[in-house]
Order: sequence, then C-alpha cells, then structure tokens
Amino acid sequence: MSKLKSMLKSINKENIKKFYIEKGKPVLKNLVINHNYVISLVLLLVLGQIASSNFLSFGSLVNLMKSSVIIGIIALGMSLVILSGNIDLSVGSLLALTAANTALVYNSSESIIVSLFFALIFGAFLGSINGIFVGKAKVAAFIVTLATMAAYRSLTVQQGQGGPIIITQDAYYGKLREIGYGKFLEIPYIVWIFVLVTLLIIFIMSKTKFGRYVYAVGSNEKAAKLSGINVDRIKVYIFSLTGLLTGLAAFLYVSRFGSVDTATAGKSFELDAIAAVAIGGTSMAGGKGFVQGTFFGIIVIYAIDAVLTSFRVPSFVNDLIKGILILGAVLMQKVLNAKRQAE
Amino acid sequence: MIVEFKNIYKNFNAVKALQDVSFTIGDSEIHGLLGENGAGKSTLMNILGGVLPPTSGTIIIDDVEYKSLNPTQANELGINFIHQELNLVNDLKVFENLYINREVTKYKFYLDKNYMIEKSYEIFKRMNVSIDPKLHVRELDTLQKQLVEIARAILFESKLIIMDEPTTALTNTEIENLFKIMRDLKEQGISCIYISHKMPELFTICDKYTVLRNGGFIESGDFKDIDENRATELLVGRSIIEEKDIHKKQLDSEAVFEVRNFTCEPFFRDISFTLKKGEVISITGLFGDGRGELSEALFGARKLDSGQILKDGKPLSLSSIRKVMKSGVGMIPRNRKERSIIKDMNILDNVSMANFNAKHKNPIISDKEELKRFSQNQKVTNIKVGSPKDSITSLSGGNQQKVVFARWFELNSDVYILDNPTQGIDVGAKFEIYKLIYDLTDKGKSVIIFTSEFPEIYKTSHRCIIMYKGEINKIINHEKLNERDVMYYSTGSNRKDENDE
Repeated sequence: MSKLKSMLKSINKENIKKFYIEKGKPVLKNLVINHNYVISLVLLLVLGQIASSNFLSFGSLVNLMKSSVIIGIIALGMSLVILSGNIDLSVGSLLALTAANTALVYNSSESIIVSLFFALIFGAFLGSINGIFVGKAKVAAFIVTLATMAAYRSLTVQQGQGGPIIITQDAYYGKLREIGYGKFLEIPYIVWIFVLVTLLIIFIMSKTKFGRYVYAVGSNEKAAKLSGINVDRIKVYIFSLTGLLTGLAAFLYVSRFGSVDTATAGKSFELDAIAAVAIGGTSMAGGKGFVQGTFFGIIVIYAIDAVLTSFRVPSFVNDLIKGILILGAVLMQKVLNAKRQAE
Repeated sequence: MIVEFKNIYKNFNAVKALQDVSFTIGDSEIHGLLGENGAGKSTLMNILGGVLPPTSGTIIIDDVEYKSLNPTQANELGINFIHQELNLVNDLKVFENLYINREVTKYKFYLDKNYMIEKSYEIFKRMNVSIDPKLHVRELDTLQKQLVEIARAILFESKLIIMDEPTTALTNTEIENLFKIMRDLKEQGISCIYISHKMPELFTICDKYTVLRNGGFIESGDFKDIDENRATELLVGRSIIEEKDIHKKQLDSEAVFEVRNFTCEPFFRDISFTLKKGEVISITGLFGDGRGELSEALFGARKLDSGQILKDGKPLSLSSIRKVMKSGVGMIPRNRKERSIIKDMNILDNVSMANFNAKHKNPIISDKEELKRFSQNQKVTNIKVGSPKDSITSLSGGNQQKVVFARWFELNSDVYILDNPTQGIDVGAKFEIYKLIYDLTDKGKSVIIFTSEFPEIYKTSHRCIIMYKGEINKIINHEKLNERDVMYYSTGSNRKDENDE
C-alpha cells in the first residue's frame, strides 16, 4: 500500500515530462523508431475496426490474444535463439512430440501437476539435444534443428500410428479442459500465462547475467568467449529454455484441444514463430532486438488473420496477404533503422 | 594525373567533417595523407572516389573542374581506392577477382578464361611479381592479396591509386617489396595517395605530405623538409609529451607469472619466461612466429600440448578462460572489432562483461551498481563518453580500447596480456594507452605486450622476447634494445649462420 502511495506521489509535472522526454529524446519518436511493431499493430487494429464495428470490442480483443498464446510462447523462446545468432526449426515437431506424450501421461496419471512437469522437462530435454549438437558439437543450428524437426515428427507419428492421440473424455472434462478454457477476471487463464511468461522472459533478458550473455554471444561470439563467457554452455541453455517454453506451449495445446493429431499438430509453427520475431524487430543475425517486440509480433500476425477474416478475404489467399504484410513490416523496420543510424 | 582539391567543405548535418581543404597531388608522385582518426582523411578520399559529394568546393582533375564525382566517373578517370579491408573474394581465383564485374566474354555468355589469364600474367609481369592467376585467392598471403588489388587497379588503367593503411598486416620484408612496386608504378606515371599512421614508412616511400586535423587542412609540403617529430606535432597539434622513463625504477624481484615449457605444435614450443612484479615484457617477431597462438594459450583460450603457468608461485589452471580470469589475468585481444568489442551493446555492458563472469555472484544485475563501478574506473582509464549507456560504436578506437582495459580493472587483474593493443589507433590515443600501461606498472601490475612495432617495444618494455618460428630466439634488455637487433633476431639471421656451419 505504501508503495502505491509513493508511486502516486511521484506523479507530478516533472515526472510526467520525464516520461514523455526520455534522455532528451521524445518518447513518441523513440516508439516510432525503436518499437515500430507497435505502429503495425495499431494500424491493423484500426483497419479491423473499419472492417467490422465490433473488432475492437473486449471480447474480440481477448480472442485475438487467446489465439496468439501457443505460438506466442514458442516465439518467446525463438527470440532467445535468434538473439544468440541461431535458429530453431524443430519447435513445431518438438511441440507435437511433447504434446503427444503429455496426453499419454495425463491419460495414465490424470494429474495436471504431473503432466505439466512432464511437459516442461520433456520439452527441455528435447531442446537440450538441439543445444548439445549446436553448442558442444558445433554443428550449424539450421542443420541440427532441420534434422530434429524431421526426427521428432517421425517419432510422434510413429507413436500415434499416423492417427491422433486422444485424451479420454472423462479425464479431459474433469480438470484439464478448465485450464484451456477457464477465465480469471474475464480473461482466459492461458492469456494470463502468456503475459506472465512474457514478463518473466523480458526480465531475464534485460536484468540478468544470462540475458547479457545471450546478447553478447549473438553480437560477437569471439569477443564473448574472450571475456570469459562459456559460449557452448550458454547455447545449450538457450535451446533447452526454448524446449521448456515449447513444452509449456504443448501442455496448453493439450489442455485446449484434448487431442493431438500426430501428423499435423504444430506443423509450420516454427515459421509463424520466426515471423513474429522478425516483425518484432529482432535482427536475424543476432545480438539486436527485444523480447517485447516478439510479444507484439505474434499478436500482429494473428491480427492480420483477424482483419482478413473481417474483410471477408477468401481464406485461400490469406497466406499470400500475410506474407506481403510481413515483408512490408520488416521493410519498414529496415527503413526506420537506417534512419536511426543516420541520427 | 594532377588532382587539385579547391576549398572543399563537407558537412554531415551539424558535424563539419571537412573545412576549406585545398591542396594538389602532382603527376607521378606518392603523396602521404596524414591525420588522426576522425581528421577527415576517409571523407576526403570518399569524395575523390565519388562515394560522397562535397557540400561545397571543387575538384580539378587534369584541368577539368568537377563539382562532384560519382563512382563510375571516378573509375573512368582512373581513380582506384584500395581499402584497408581488402575487397577480394576468397573463393574465386586470382584472375576471376581481377576481372570481377568486368569479365571478358566470347559469344556473350561464354567466359573467355584464357584471355583473362593471359592478361593477368602480363600485369603481374609488368609489376615484377610472380603470382599464379589460377590460384584461389585464399591460398595467397596478405601481401599477395594486396598486390592483386593493385594489379586490378593497373589492369583498368588507373592513374591514381589510393591506399588506406596497406601495411598493417604485412611483415617488414613484404613492406619493402610493396614499396619497390609502388616506386616502379611511379616510374610508369601512376600516382598514389598513401594513408598511414606509421611515420617511418611515410618517410621512406612518400614524396609529398598533407596533414589534416579535425577536418581542417594544416599543411602540405615535401617530406625531405621535415622530420618525424615535426610531422607528429603537425598531426597531433601539440608537441608530444616526453614518455616517462619507466625503466629507471628498480623492479621488485618478486616473480608473479612464470611460464614454463609452453608447447603447442605446430605453433610454438618450449616457451619459458618469468614476469616480475611491475614489469613489462614485449614479445615480438615476424609472421609465422606463433605469437598470436601463444597469446591465446597464455589466457587459456587454446589447448596446450604441455606446459604450465605459475601465478604467485602456485600452478594456474588453464582449463577454462574463466578460471584464468579469476586468478587475476586480463587479456586485451588483437583485432578489437572482431575479438573484443560487442558492437550491439552499450559501453557499460561492454565493460561489465568480464565482471559478470568472474565476480558478480547475483544472477540479477543492478544498473546502479554497474554505473558506480563504471565511474570508479572511468577516473583511471579516462574514457571519454557522453553517457555510459551510449553504443560502444559511438566511441573512437582509442576509447574503445580503454573500455576493454576497464573490463579487467573491474576484476582488479594484476597480469595484463595485451595483443597488439594499439592496432588502428591514432598517435594521440596511442600515447594514452602507453600512459595506461605506465600507470599499471606504477601500481605493481605486470604486463605482457605482443607487438611488432619497435617504437612501442622501446617505449614500454623492460625486456623484449624475440620469437622465431615458434621458439624464443633471443631476449634483449631495455638498455640494449635497438631496431636493427630486433630485426636481426626476428628474421632468424643468427640461426641461418648456425645452419651454414
């Protein structure tokens, strides 16, 4: 309570001015140049509102968030991987394999805690396999994760014999469904989870040593090594953390859908996740970018979907338009970045 | 070709990069362009190369006046710029590089390789060098690569070649070869603008000089009318402070860092020496002496075949860089951009990087604490920054190097390994780095410098270790140091005698 009071006290003219002008640079300009994905999002929301009058209603905004959650959590991990100068193509298959096994674990244990922990640990384990090949064996991340993408998918399909793995009706409607569909303060649990995880990752990346190491490895691996960072180990951690986050996404996937189609679950999730990171302004070469950007990036991608639906664009050309918009967003960033450099 | 700059001004927004620069480069002359980093040399050369237009002023080339040039025009006039970072494709062959983007074809599509190879031979013959045009560029050494760039300029009838620091990666013999070729070219009527920080070279090869400082034109003239001291004064704008004589001070006899039988085949073998408290040892040699690898091994960044280090009498674990750091050894790597600066991070984080690893226990970072540590070190290193949160790339080379020093001050390291610490740094900043080294020794810290510049060895070191083909060939004390002997032992001349006998 006292904290709140002191916070209220601190709202005076000086501080308001400070808020708008940070380090002598106007906040708005900073927003345009450094965090322009926010502009893309605002533009899309305005477009959506033009197309259908209840686009900006609370309900549909929550829906927008809700649909972003699963790939969004994966994209957070992807940000770390890309910031460190790597790439992870295996996340879609990793999600499928983890989800399939989580479903099996839930079927036999009927315990939410057990299956959640299983999902996290199993995901982290699969991620660490990527990490060990990239970090210790020094194989290019693109190749390693291309291989595990195929391998994890194949294992999943084998497990389901090509078909789905389904959670038994009674067990699902008992408790698990509550996580996928339940709400707190009118907002679904899964959205809360997404926001909390985002805040956690933002904290890790901006306030911890590990965060600094990720940036350092992505920006200049040799220099990072010569200032004592154990680069190989950091890479293993990054891929494991991405696996863990994908494990969490897999658990939410199971709780929402109650079944896992082994052949298609998570297919091309990696592409949306990478796109979200790109739209969020993170450099594909590593070292530059913010996790906040990815959070908005994934919402932008789903907002594009929503806007297209509102305009009744035939769904077959959806991806075409999405592709064009993603290129446009990234191009805009390039132009703005060039401007920032010139300043 | 006669090039005259007339009242050239160039502004980048508020920054005045060039102000009223006027001078002339004559026919068949090698013209030394001097100036510290940021003096405006590159801007001026970019204007001549057509990359940038001047804000005002004109360039007169062989009596034709140009308000500005574009790159194609500059090329057609025969102006060629050889950049410090060589512009060659390693995976293509020499002749393919020579003709890149100007390939000669038969029947439109079919590359006329034989013709191109033959022409390449002719050019190299004209230059009096033997390089096989059919080799891949990656198989060449640095001098040969430089020569390929020059050959490319000649091939397309260059009349003026701009060379930016061409000798940084060359050994002394190679430099002599390069100079011979430059003189030959001069005979053939090709002029050259030679940009370098190295005074002895400028005095050897150049006829005329022009000095720029802070974007302004200072002086032009004949090199034979001035000496090195005068040139340095012109360059820096003040007379250089006499270097402090660190060698008068009596050294403690306490050994802090003993290297024993370091061996890592095929780079170096059986390296042993002892560093005392407050001592500076320089290690020098020529290309292929294994110095670079040795510097890495001393810091735990390269696996050894055998050998150990005693730090304060106790064996030092070389199994990881972190362990070496923690025991009080700091490293300033060579090639700052590639190996020490993290370009996407701010100054503060660049300084703190080593501290995070070796000292900072809490996984969470406090901004306040970081800033406090930074300002303490800033007093020592004299880093000039606007805000510690500015990007590291906003600093000059010298200040960036001080940031790397500050890394180790935070850890309170007492042995510093400096690998080519003044590479690409201008004269003024070099002295500041030397001052930093003197301050370190005053505090009883010890320093190992890997360098190939004799003045640097002389100004800083108590002893100089000269390496030849991976072995210690000779150790010379400061009193007996002279450039001739250093060269003699670096080239292994003493060993050749042995072999003859």
